Amino acid sequence: MTAQNTPLSDERVLAELRKVNDPDLQKDIVTLGFVRNLSIDGGAVRFDINLTTPACPVKDQMRDEAERLVEAIPGVATVSVNMTAEVQSSPQMAKGALENVRNVIAVGSGKGGVGKSTIAVNLAAALSGSGARVGLLDGDIYGPSLPIMLGVTAAPDHADGKITPRESAGLRFMSMGLLVKTPDQPLIWRGPMAHKAFQQCLFDVAWGELDYLVVDLPPGTGDVHLTLAQSVPMTGAVIVSTPQDVGLQISVKTLRMFEQTKVPILGIIENMAYYICGHCGAKDPIFGEGGARRAASEMGIPFLGEVPLDMAIRSQADLGTPIVVADPEAASSVVLRQISEQLAAQVSIRNYNAPVLEIE
Amino acid sequence: MASAPGATDPARIKKISNQELMIVWQDGHQSRYRGPVLRGQCPCATCQDEDTGQRLILPIHVPDDLEFRRIEMVGRYALQFEWSDGHRTGIYSFELLRRLCPCAGCRAGASVRT
Repeated sequence: MTAQNTPLSDERVLAELRKVNDPDLQKDIVTLGFVRNLSIDGGAVRFDINLTTPACPVKDQMRDEAERLVEAIPGVATVSVNMTAEVQSSPQMAKGALENVRNVIAVGSGKGGVGKSTIAVNLAAALSGSGARVGLLDGDIYGPSLPIMLGVTAAPDHADGKITPRESAGLRFMSMGLLVKTPDQPLIWRGPMAHKAFQQCLFDVAWGELDYLVVDLPPGTGDVHLTLAQSVPMTGAVIVSTPQDVGLQISVKTLRMFEQTKVPILGIIENMAYYICGHCGAKDPIFGEGGARRAASEMGIPFLGEVPLDMAIRSQADLGTPIVVADPEAASSVVLRQISEQLAAQVSIRNYNAPVLEIE
Repeated sequence: MASAPGATDPARIKKISNQELMIVWQDGHQSRYRGPVLRGQCPCATCQDEDTGQRLILPIHVPDDLEFRRIEMVGRYALQFEWSDGHRTGIYSFELLRRLCPCAGCRAGASVRT
């Protein structure tokens, strides 16, 4: 414990930590107020780094850098960094009907069959796996698929006039599929009924405290989208697209719809980006290559990543457990987890830069 | 026409009185609206024919002492007013509100009559 020229002080440690930048928010972690509970005991330095999401893609990098810089200060013997996270609320959310939900993220697509629900359920499960509190709402009133993908079809309980969401894969989830009597019973409703049912699934559910509520939208642009855009100030929307669908400009329509209702686009995910041959392992871009990435860069929208056409993703979904939970080390799980981290980073950026708007 | 970045994104929304609303836009422009005039521009289907766009309620139909009873945000893109005449179905998108700005400069190049 040799305190050399300058004695070890909070200021000295903080000066070093100011060199650590959050690459997403583009400020140093001291200015951002991330450094907490700094204590110096002889040569032992301890502090917390409190991030804006537990799914931070550069969490380890920031911790290592902080550790390395503080260790290099003369007089420091040991450094112990505790990584914590507190997801920020979208500024408009706190005042609304869903005040305990910090962020509502819609997952949409231009057309059906692009794997939107599969992506939504895996992103939600990956965010939950990182330590966040996550809810998932099935916005597909007519063709709900989440009960199958999450392996729960039993009707939810009620308490105090609210629906208790079902839990699976670390998620609280709600779906119209849980409310119909038998799985093969169709819902034959006109728009206003669907609107009402969706609002109930959103507002009459005891979600509790949530960092992220992921809403799996039905394909295209319609009733549910408008209801959601009018009911809550969403943090943003994610568009799932196949390489082919981008070429056909279909997902661009969905994007324009969100723009018209001033819902920020958090990014595009390309699904079915390529097929890995089960026999020889060759990668085949059967729907074309790089379409969504190009479209994203042309429109100045973050590209969150590409997901392969992988039989394991489908078969795990059919078995009722998302692949990121069933087989976290599978190649596709790694990709999906990375995408969930990119998404969480975009949410943090939006919330950090979002102006707070109230009617004065 | 408002097309500059931030022109249809509000930075501040202030109810000045029960008859007056101010919006400061992110491009710096300031709009001050008279409630009764806004009521006469209501975009809902009862006040404006859905097919032809013909106005069924005009500013001259609105009593001059009409007041805001409540102003609410609709998601992130619009305002909804409840008026003292009980009407409340109009959703005024920020885009529409910017187009309705009654200032002389905006009126000079406007496509919407007030």
